[in-house]
Amino acid sequence: MKKISLTIIVFVTVCSVLEAQDKFYTKTGKIFFECTKSPLEKIEATNKSSTCVLDIKTGRLQFAVLMRGFEFQRALMQEHFNENYVESSKFPKSDFKGEISNNNEINYTKDGEYIAKVKGKLQLHGQTQDVDAIGKIIIKQGRVIANARFAILLSDYNIRIPSLVSDKLSNSVNIIIDCNLEPFKD
Amino acid sequence: MQIGTKKKVFVAISMMALVAGLYGYMEYTRGSKDLLYTKADYITIAKDLIKEFEENEKAANEKFINKIIAVNGSVKDVIKDGDKFYTVMLGDAAGTSSVRCSMDSNYQPEAALLQLRRNVTIKGICTGFNADDLLGSDVILNRCIIEKKGSE
Repeated sequence: MKKISLTIIVFVTVCSVLEAQDKFYTKTGKIFFECTKSPLEKIEATNKSSTCVLDIKTGRLQFAVLMRGFEFQRALMQEHFNENYVESSKFPKSDFKGEISNNNEINYTKDGEYIAKVKGKLQLHGQTQDVDAIGKIIIKQGRVIANARFAILLSDYNIRIPSLVSDKLSNSVNIIIDCNLEPFKD
Repeated sequence: MQIGTKKKVFVAISMMALVAGLYGYMEYTRGSKDLLYTKADYITIAKDLIKEFEENEKAANEKFINKIIAVNGSVKDVIKDGDKFYTVMLGDAAGTSSVRCSMDSNYQPEAALLQLRRNVTIKGICTGFNADDLLGSDVILNRCIIEKKGSE
């Protein structure tokens, strides 16, 4: 009986270790966005504390970001972003849950650059929308670098642009993702 | 109205417009405050701050988000990303939870010199709490500065 219990414990432990090795993560992922319309005034911000988990076995990809973590060059712009646009007090987080649809074309054991077709759902400002993006997976000395560039529309996420600033603020937001992932060790 | 009075009114209005314009310009171009010279709203230890968020995230969000917090704790890890940007993790080395301090770009060299397991007080603006089943939970502070370095 003892032997069977021990075997089960060993099996479960080995399984969880193997599963953990399939996952890569970062807690310091960078997400940059810009929605500048007028060349006179740059509207852009960066968040350097986003969380990203990639399961290289299944291609499942997940991001989480705190809206208050976006830093602007101008403090007033940052205040307006949090209070009037994304309403950070009401909706403090945004997340993306999706997968790399061509995951089987990426060789995670060989250094190189691979195209990643990403599909998933982006939740922002209490709204969830489908997002498709073409990204890049770079394999370098055991690490996985995930880069992507895509655009979303503020109107899709119920974020209204007041007419007073409609000449400065674009409804289309360009988003750049840059995450340096490391193997998850349980 | 006499010419003298008119002149005074004109000067007063011009002065008010100038002050309003100057205030507007300063407000528009205002950058973020350097936290080294700003008083903390809360002074706490890493363990207690994490506990408050873990026990009641909603209440802790209302209390701490966008507030300046000085947190004392043991340096669990110092992470440097590709752009040499530092994040300091405070908390119990054996636990999965931590206070994640994203360092201010003007104070990066100081973060590089931090030693693991040393006690340190870091001041930053709280942006929230991230809880993940796999990765553990973190209270996140932005634009952090090192207020005080302590002993092991």
